[in-house]
Amino acid sequence: MLTLEQYTLPNGLKVTLNEDHSAPLVAVNLWYHVGSKNERPGRTGFAHLFEHMLFSGSEHVGNNEHFRYVQSVGGVLNGTTFFDRTNYFETLPSNYLALGLWLESDRLGFFLPALTKEKLDIQREVVKEERRQRYDNVPYGTAFERLLRLAYPSDYPYHWPTIGSMEDLGAASLDDIREFFATWYRLDNCTLTLVGDFAAAEAKTLVEQYFGDLPSGGSFPPFTARRTPLGRENRETFASHVQLPRLYRLYHLPKMGEPDWVHADLLTTILATDKASRLDRALVHEKQIAQDVATYVLPTEATGILMLQATAREGVQIEEIEAAIDEEIARVSLDGITEDELTRAKNRAEIEFAHQIETFDARADLLGMMSTYFGDPMKIDRWLDPYRAASAEDLAHVARKYLIPENRVTSLFVPERG
Amino acid sequence: MTTINRSTAPSPTAPRPYHFPHITRKTLPNGLRMLVAENHNAPLVSLRALVRSGADHDTAQTAGLASLTADLLDEGAGGRDAIRLAEDVGILGGALGTGADWDASYVSLDVLSRNFEPSSAIFGEVTVRPTLPPDGLERARAERLTEILQQRDEPAAIAGKRFANLLYGTGAYGNSVIGNADSVSRLTIDDVRRFYRQHYLPNNSAVVVSGDVDSAGALERIEALLGTWEPGPQPPRPNVSHHPVDASRIYVIDRPQAVQSEIRVGHIGVARSSEDYFALSVMNAIFGGVFNSRINLNLRERHGYTYGARSQFAFRRQPGPFVIAAPVRNEVTRESVSEMIAELRRIRTGDIVDGELDDTKNYLMGVFPATVQTASDIASRLLDMELYGLPEDYFDRYRENIAAVTKDEIARVARKYLDPDRVLIVIVGNASQIREPLGTLGIPIHDLDIDGNRLAVG
Repeated sequence: MLTLEQYTLPNGLKVTLNEDHSAPLVAVNLWYHVGSKNERPGRTGFAHLFEHMLFSGSEHVGNNEHFRYVQSVGGVLNGTTFFDRTNYFETLPSNYLALGLWLESDRLGFFLPALTKEKLDIQREVVKEERRQRYDNVPYGTAFERLLRLAYPSDYPYHWPTIGSMEDLGAASLDDIREFFATWYRLDNCTLTLVGDFAAAEAKTLVEQYFGDLPSGGSFPPFTARRTPLGRENRETFASHVQLPRLYRLYHLPKMGEPDWVHADLLTTILATDKASRLDRALVHEKQIAQDVATYVLPTEATGILMLQATAREGVQIEEIEAAIDEEIARVSLDGITEDELTRAKNRAEIEFAHQIETFDARADLLGMMSTYFGDPMKIDRWLDPYRAASAEDLAHVARKYLIPENRVTSLFVPERG
Repeated sequence: MTTINRSTAPSPTAPRPYHFPHITRKTLPNGLRMLVAENHNAPLVSLRALVRSGADHDTAQTAGLASLTADLLDEGAGGRDAIRLAEDVGILGGALGTGADWDASYVSLDVLSRNFEPSSAIFGEVTVRPTLPPDGLERARAERLTEILQQRDEPAAIAGKRFANLLYGTGAYGNSVIGNADSVSRLTIDDVRRFYRQHYLPNNSAVVVSGDVDSAGALERIEALLGTWEPGPQPPRPNVSHHPVDASRIYVIDRPQAVQSEIRVGHIGVARSSEDYFALSVMNAIFGGVFNSRINLNLRERHGYTYGARSQFAFRRQPGPFVIAAPVRNEVTRESVSEMIAELRRIRTGDIVDGELDDTKNYLMGVFPATVQTASDIASRLLDMELYGLPEDYFDRYRENIAAVTKDEIARVARKYLDPDRVLIVIVGNASQIREPLGTLGIPIHDLDIDGNRLAVG
């Protein structure tokens, strides 16, 4: 059990404290409950572009100074954006806790005075380069984007990836930045988590000093979009500059944390982790038709996602890979899994969780997630319970209910001829 | 409520002390060195075996042998086949890994500490009693050849390979650790077994245990498992030589569909054992080693040319390369190369300002505890100590060694080890868009195909 304390400031800021003196460090972590799912068509990629802007200074912190303040005392820092949230975090020597709170409160409370067109233009270029580096200039780079397009209608905001489109990045204006900031970057849309070497009473005083006088906003728009079931499989074959064919699939699931999502998480371990897992053993080790297989669930809040991918060996047709995968999934649906496989999957979940709470920064991030998606950081102490309680039948049920053609989309990447 | 002054950064409170975990050492009669670092923060244990021979022993003919040998370790050991090994590790809540880099070969096992006892037995068998089966080699070979094929799609991999090859030729450090299609096709199970026999020796190895264990018990356990491992003659260290670069040259590898240029600019670097290691670490951090370095602030934050630009000295047992790397959009390829070379010239002038020096030294000194939070992180540091023969008080004295670096020393090592007039410039990109602008740099340009063959200039 972790030593946790949770409270809310009058202005709405949710705070979680986890005192741990095993290293002279403190992790400062903020989750804002806004991500690419809160964007509108025409402004895709905006939540992430905004994240970049929050590193470009605020009223009392100059451009690039945020990084400098943290690094010059031996801290590490970053931010990330996904469908449902944006997080910002730094791990500092514990005697610099106030510095972290000062920096974070300044960009939340005093961001707009430092905003300039020049800064936006630079970060727009940086983000476009990020898109080129991660999506457009690498083999299979657009696979996730293509799957999302097949999996969701254009008015459901998981239809586009967090990076957004080049065109929309080009269109983002200073007014968009101001409006987005005013709408989403508010105390009551944020969880602040501190993990590490501090005395809780002192940390509370500092939090109150730096965040207590910042105003809470009005009300923000609720997320109301509903995903309409596909009813049939959406498929495509996409010819591109790749040496080897690769299959990509997305299966719909209930959202993160639901029992079937947990069971799907365990099932993906049984399907593809090590040489003894079903798909690795059949496709890679025995038949040797695939170079690699991978499957995993994503930590999404609005609706659940299971990803599956496999790369064909040279000379192997992608149809053969697909048939072999479906055969293995059918075996799970029909015959179920063994108790031994279930135990291995549960052990894997346990060791992965132990690794996640091993460092202050990863633990703080997990607590921020629990608070943001489930309204309860204490859930971290119960996180493994549904994993431990899962039965072999629970997992077979997931295979039968969700791993079926009408619940999936498929994108086949094949080498371009000539 | 007390109001605070937001206009300046708050002062720190008194620093809390940090101590690297105590290291218990013991050497067995067969020459195996053992290091244990206890740390009970999490119910996890990291086990590592280090064999002080890696791909530096590969020749042009046997490129890929060290890493293929490592790949085969978990294809069966101590009477278990590959599947059974994976099952038994999984039931203990473990993750088993094997691999090789230029300097060494490794076996790793991360496991829940309650299963340290049975999982260490599997770790021992994989290390000293691998089956090295012929059918395992065929599986590993097919996978390896496919990996080599896949890298032909990846601009960063192509750039790295070509840069290493131009600097070192086809010998050690010049091939890829994973080898090439020709060499990997030819390697036999006898090659693998010979490499294993000659190099996987207790007197050429060390074992590290880190995490939630009792030091004395862990040492006893490793001794019981590996005490009977037979020593052998110490393998000789191979020589690594590089091609001297007499003048800067640009090498363009055309990738017609590219929307970014993968740029590598650099030359020979220094060995890990260099007496200038600390000065070089500070100099490189200022130059291109961290987010707020000159190279990244210039190319990313001032110009918006790239998502990230970095420089690195690959400190290996023998001199690895010094490389500046960045992917940039096609239109600014020439400008990016030009800025990189200008930054090389600039740092050699010794124009280091106080704030820059202090910030960087404080970063390197202060960040250490954040990088050794896990049992696995600590194990990696112990492996480094063993591999590079670092003194026993290395981590305790790290701060004072960094603190002692002066501006003059930075200028001195910049002038000694950086040479803007003799750099290899490798660019994987869209030749039709980038070649003409690059011509205005006044540096000879050569066109290479993806395998490094010279193309006639068209």
